[in-house]
Amino acid sequence: MEKQSKTWLWVIGILVVVGVVYLVMTLNSSTPATNESASKGENGPIKIGVIAPLTGDAAAYGEPLQKVIALAVEEINNAGGLGGRMFQFTYEDGKCNGKDGANAMQKLVNIDKVKVVIGGFCSSESLAAVPIATANKVVLFSGGSSSPDLTNVSSYFLRDYPSDAAQGKVLAEIAYGDKKWRKVVFIQEQLDYPLGIFKAFSSNFERLGGQTSKEEFTEGTTDFRSQLTKLRGLKPDALFIDTQTPAAAERIFKQLTELKWKVPLLVSDAVTGDPAVVEKNATILEGALAAEFGTDPNNATFKHLLEAYKQKHNVDVPYQSYAQTMYDAVYIVRDGIKAVGYDGEKLALWSRTIKDWKGASGLVTIGSDGDRVSGHIGKVIKKGKVEVYGM
Amino acid sequence: MDLIMQFIINSLIAGATYTLVTLGFNLVYGATKFVNMFHGVLAAVGGYTVFFFTQTIGIDLWVSIIVGIIGAGLVGFLADRFIFSTLRIKKASNLVMFIASLGAFIVLQAVLAMVFTSQFQSIVHSVDSPRVYEIGSAAITHIQLLIIITALFSSFGLVLLLRFTMFGKAVKAISDDEEVAKIIGIDTNKIIGYVFFIGSAIAGIAGILIGFDTGIQPTMGLAILLEGATASIIGGIGNLYGGIAGSFLLGFVENFGIWKIPSEWKGAITFSVLIIFLIFRPQGIFKK
Amino acid sequence: MAYLIHLAILFVIYAILGISLNLVVGYTGLLSVTHAAFFGIGAYIVAILGMQFGLNFFVGLLLGVVVAGIISFLIGFVLSRLGGDYYVLGTVGFNYIVWSVLLNWQEVTRGPLGIPGISRPKLFGLDFTSNLAFLFLAVIILGAIYVFSQSIVTSSFGRVLKAIREDERAINVFGYNTLYYKLTIFMIAAAMAAIAGSLFASYITFISPATFMVMESVFILAIVILGGFANLKGSLLGALFLIFLPEALRFVGFTEDIAAQMRQAVYGLLLVVLMLYRPQGLLGEYKL
Repeated sequence: MEKQSKTWLWVIGILVVVGVVYLVMTLNSSTPATNESASKGENGPIKIGVIAPLTGDAAAYGEPLQKVIALAVEEINNAGGLGGRMFQFTYEDGKCNGKDGANAMQKLVNIDKVKVVIGGFCSSESLAAVPIATANKVVLFSGGSSSPDLTNVSSYFLRDYPSDAAQGKVLAEIAYGDKKWRKVVFIQEQLDYPLGIFKAFSSNFERLGGQTSKEEFTEGTTDFRSQLTKLRGLKPDALFIDTQTPAAAERIFKQLTELKWKVPLLVSDAVTGDPAVVEKNATILEGALAAEFGTDPNNATFKHLLEAYKQKHNVDVPYQSYAQTMYDAVYIVRDGIKAVGYDGEKLALWSRTIKDWKGASGLVTIGSDGDRVSGHIGKVIKKGKVEVYGM
Repeated sequence: MDLIMQFIINSLIAGATYTLVTLGFNLVYGATKFVNMFHGVLAAVGGYTVFFFTQTIGIDLWVSIIVGIIGAGLVGFLADRFIFSTLRIKKASNLVMFIASLGAFIVLQAVLAMVFTSQFQSIVHSVDSPRVYEIGSAAITHIQLLIIITALFSSFGLVLLLRFTMFGKAVKAISDDEEVAKIIGIDTNKIIGYVFFIGSAIAGIAGILIGFDTGIQPTMGLAILLEGATASIIGGIGNLYGGIAGSFLLGFVENFGIWKIPSEWKGAITFSVLIIFLIFRPQGIFKK
Repeated sequence: MAYLIHLAILFVIYAILGISLNLVVGYTGLLSVTHAAFFGIGAYIVAILGMQFGLNFFVGLLLGVVVAGIISFLIGFVLSRLGGDYYVLGTVGFNYIVWSVLLNWQEVTRGPLGIPGISRPKLFGLDFTSNLAFLFLAVIILGAIYVFSQSIVTSSFGRVLKAIREDERAINVFGYNTLYYKLTIFMIAAAMAAIAGSLFASYITFISPATFMVMESVFILAIVILGGFANLKGSLLGALFLIFLPEALRFVGFTEDIAAQMRQAVYGLLLVVLMLYRPQGLLGEYKL
């Protein structure tokens, strides 16, 4: 009995403390906050946050993309920063899940007091961070989240990477209309991006009259032999290799070759976004279809990014379709701050005015729903190179 | 009908891979009686050592492989020397050892990721795509064939070692009863150290072969370990023959399961099989 | 300040998880590594019912408790037939299966896409949307759970649990139906975990299967181990430590590219060191 009432005393005690703190905070809310941002606004470094998966399986993308961002920051700072002020980026680990994404966002917003965060990379990170961004008037700019759930989710969210909805539609139309395929099977990685592509493709393809089916696999799977064998037994017209990363796709290509199964292929733009992978697997990818919003090897900024990264890190930058958008995101943020100042609310409004901004990823236009406006274009792989389909 | 041959081959490959894991796992379990989570990361150590020596230093492939195997064995040996034997001396319970091995696993995996990045790598051993042999309408690569052959040889070799050498008899004595073994004069800690070395080296072989077949990633250890542990239990934990049988059984159930059931449920099937075995035949197929 | 409130809420959620797991592991001696499964069930019920049917958070919470109770009854019954090491592996298997269902039953759970936009609790005009208000609610719930747990462990029911931990066979001989006790505490703990899950879903407003994998169960177990078995205050301490430690490490100046891996390594190292030098945890009365 005694122990129970003691516990309740503790609970009440804590609640009282919490309540008092709340009162104190609401009373003090106006002055100190504005003082702080005012003094910082003058001449200190401009602080920007980044949320990316730095550990776990997704670190395979998070690590190099962090390096891309760091590269852009270094370039900006070496050129004198912005109005003499240097950019200071703080990187937090979102671990490709909601809880850690939210944690990271909380820390960046409340401890580092940033007004802009480039992140999340995984859609789960972004979805969890968005409410925090909105509540604190901090802009959340994703260079990689493609879940359709993020379209129009908040006036403080924008992304220069397009939603998954577009890719599947384009390919479904080519597959049914041009190629006259009626049965397409998928080997699909169980993550939000590949799942989004599958859903977009199959809903469009089936609407046109076709048939789809799929085998899913969890991230990190290395043995696809039995799944491929099973899909082969269904005698499909084409196989869609729908993966999050080129590495997973390569594992599948290898086993496809080993099983000696020749079948027309479609791939996700994770593959076409990596020219080294495309070239290395030229034989098996001959004639394969994809839909990309495009890495344009003739884009000067894109070429510069590739060279600079290679020079600094001695390897080619992987996941190029994301690398270009990440790189652009940093520069877009700089231009935004240049235009309207380091203010979350103003930047959010400014973000919706971005139109035909020239970057490594081509012309960037942001729609009123925060999504990048662009068409996915059908592509085909010939002789180890990605070309526009239908030329 | 021609698909069945391919499924059989796939099952054999999987079974052989698991066998390489269970050999080491069961060996260590038999001597120390705890579920060693650290075992999984040793495969990654083997694979990465070969990767490091061939790619970064440029040493000849075969030499690198030997270094890789010894390296994996060494890491396992050291883990025992500094962590597990200390705990054994303190008469720590199995639970404590399990958790310690888990902690060690997490640390080593993080170290590998820091040194080699989290990217997926492949160990290249020849220029082009692997030679593929065809059996009927099914196909198998020479690496995959090598996995099966290695598994058979390793099993055979290990069995011979344990049956016909003094070392083997000492290991059996320790497995039966560590206290008694000590009393009759066996230096149990030394023998267990060797057991760790051998078991870990075999795990290293597994990692290297997997590296050739599909590739390496710092996180590859956990999946390998769980499959290996499941196969061990099905076969009778601590029992080498059981581990081999369990491995192939698991390989067949998983791959034929995929044929009929949507493959995303493969893991769930594996664990359901595990639970069923745990309930109805916890001692596994073969009694220890 | 707002950051501390955020951490405090996470602390409360994990404290509930730690306390409830401690009832099963610390007091009763059942090494369950599947707590994340019930955590997930609670979270998903609130999320799905909230999104599909607009059901109030508190209704969802109660339903989560009921569902977790039923499922834990069924699996608890199955698992009770297993002893020692096999029990651990059985729970791991069950956790994996639940995660697999969350991931694959996409019509209901949306699989890897997760469920976004979960709303904060509202009751009779009281709105718990602000973080501070949410913290209020969470602390009250934690208090209730703590008091309830305290009353269990100090009662005669609790004494039987401890007796089961010490020597199940002996207490059986005395005529106690140990199955009833083990099952009951397992269900109570599962229900509490589900409550934590409901809080979690409503706080983060987005859930996906990735949060409820086996590793999460290991993390919750680490809280119990660190704090000490069979000590409820210890579990509070354990949760405090394991929530705040990674945050504190953020401020240690590791270079960016390895910082995150370094945190993992430290976490693993902590487990190893604890096992080597203080297996009873900070406040534990029961040595592992």
